[in-house]
Amino acid sequence: MSIDPVTLAAAQALPPMNPLPPANIGEANPPPAGAGFAGWLDSQLRQVNAEITAAADDGVRRLAIGEPVSLHQVMINLERARLHFELVLQVRNKLLEAYQDLTRMQI
Amino acid sequence: MDLTTVFEVSAAGMSLQRLRLDVAAANLANAQTSAVDGVGYQPLQVVAHAPLTAPFAQWLSAAQLRPADVRVVESASVPRLVYEPGHPDADARGYVAYPDVSPVSEMVRLMEISRAYEANVRALNLAKAMAVRALEIGTER
Repeated sequence: MSIDPVTLAAAQALPPMNPLPPANIGEANPPPAGAGFAGWLDSQLRQVNAEITAAADDGVRRLAIGEPVSLHQVMINLERARLHFELVLQVRNKLLEAYQDLTRMQI
Repeated sequence: MDLTTVFEVSAAGMSLQRLRLDVAAANLANAQTSAVDGVGYQPLQVVAHAPLTAPFAQWLSAAQLRPADVRVVESASVPRLVYEPGHPDADARGYVAYPDVSPVSEMVRLMEISRAYEANVRALNLAKAMAVRALEIGTER
């Protein structure tokens, strides 16, 4: 059906985030900190993914099969999901930046 | 008042304008339907109220800015009588009763609905743009 592209897009949006935890775990000394960050990122991603699936994806699916759902509500849910994802992405970027600063530190 | 409040308020405004459009379309579609034995289409109108009882500060915390109490009511208008003696629905004097729908005022209402919907979309887009700008804080691009 014509629903697939959305779920595909949501799934494709997520993998770029995954390479981060291995890089962090690969660090020799502090496994608790690395695991903590990976766990945090994982939970945040799950939450955002659940948001996309619950509100936006569901709305698009219902619209596609012709249920009476208001178009603007679907669009607003999509935008909200995008904003949530953007927020997690920015937090991840900042944390990664700080981590890279630490790895570049001269000893 | 967080971002989702703006979204919800604007969404409620858009829903209201959609309903007004539905009603205006129904009025226009039934403008030329004649009444049989005095029973015919009554022009509809949307009545909406804002919850004005709460103080302003309370509005901002609770999502009470949206229009509430939206109802569709039949307007108590007198049917338009047209002299058509040959019409099957004509009364004894030869008059046919049509609903009192003025195409001109309905067209003006349609324009108004379109602009109001657009304004709601603008407000929502601005709220979203502000959120995106806020997310750009600290990025060097």
